[in-house]
Amino acid sequence: MSDEDFEEQASLYVLGLLEGEELRAFEARLASDPELSRAVDALRETAAQLAHTATPRALPPELHDRILAEVRAIPAAARTPSRSTAWLPWAIAAGLAVACLLLATDRSRLHDRIAALQHRDTLSQIRIASLTSQLDSAPKATAVVVWDADKQEGVLRTADVPPAGRERDYQLWIVDPQYGQPVDAGVFDVAQGGSTKISFKPKAHVSAVDGFAVSLERKGGVPKAEGPMVLAGK
Amino acid sequence: MSTEQLEQAAADRALVARVVEGDEAAFSSLYRRLAPGLFSMVYEILHDQKEAEDVLQEAFVQVWKKAALYDPQRSSLFSWAVMISRNKAIDRVRARGRRLRTVEAAAAEATAVPPEHSEQADELLAHGEEKRRIRGALAQLPEPQRDAIDLAFFRGLTQTEIAAKLSVPLGTIKARIRRGLLALRDVLEPST
Repeated sequence: MSDEDFEEQASLYVLGLLEGEELRAFEARLASDPELSRAVDALRETAAQLAHTATPRALPPELHDRILAEVRAIPAAARTPSRSTAWLPWAIAAGLAVACLLLATDRSRLHDRIAALQHRDTLSQIRIASLTSQLDSAPKATAVVVWDADKQEGVLRTADVPPAGRERDYQLWIVDPQYGQPVDAGVFDVAQGGSTKISFKPKAHVSAVDGFAVSLERKGGVPKAEGPMVLAGK
Repeated sequence: MSTEQLEQAAADRALVARVVEGDEAAFSSLYRRLAPGLFSMVYEILHDQKEAEDVLQEAFVQVWKKAALYDPQRSSLFSWAVMISRNKAIDRVRARGRRLRTVEAAAAEATAVPPEHSEQADELLAHGEEKRRIRGALAQLPEPQRDAIDLAFFRGLTQTEIAAKLSVPLGTIKARIRRGLLALRDVLEPST
């Protein structure tokens, strides 16, 4: 597809003119292409400015109070950002991830890292997640993710994860409620003994992390998770 | 981005942060800033006072519920609110199968009498200079591009419906929308 084709699709997308398979394909591409995502953001900003061209209408004065009354009746729990139902299996799996089994060998290193980050006054940007096994065949598999929201990068360390195999790769995903599917954070394999340590950067900007997951995919990775989930956690 | 726009963006971020915390006063401030422009847009789409009020109410309730999802790095607060409100209005137009009637009503309104004008609305609408700038940019577009974008943005027509209405091939409509939107982006970009 040429740049012109993508521009055309992006223009149609921001105006809500893509439908069906065309829409799904574009959104899949969007989730894994930061450049396209930025182009769409810019075009969406332009399209929104068209609202300024509407003929001015008087705002009903009582509408504010009506809205405020409805807002006051909304329980705090209902304000939790909702997720697409496409995320349900992932959410359930992440919810089932039981105790926070931080790797003993990682504890001291994590504490050192946290101390260093505190020193830089950036701790508020740091998220640490423990991922637990979702596989009956490898119940001891585990991982720790340290995510720096400010820098949009992180480190993943695994232990006791079985080898992916010659035709497959593990793929890391970040759950961000703003997207309809997990954000691709790259592929990796593990050394003998199931351990590895990788630095990663997601393929799209991540605003809010609702969890991390690792799936087993075909070699080189896939734009949208297809394979079995191996690890998950928040 | 101008200094004024940077200040506005910073003020918006602070306002949304307070709304996320459940601050009703901040929510009211946000309403006062955005609602006049949004209501005008929603009315332009629906041409129905009651429905426009309902849609605006739904949109602000969503803003209250989902304020935590607003990402200032990806869009301005105004654009975010426009897209929420517009999507709800377009959903109504499409769901009720009122597209043709709405278009006809809009056409009749445009040709029969001058659009309703309210000094109160003008007073309420902020960013008068911005409005003039956007209208100026839109006026620079060739008429076919302007018509295609207007039918998509304000009338909620699909690509096929726009092509049928303007009696041109679908590919032509896609190209017109792409060229028109990119031209608008290029004109507006220096200060957005």
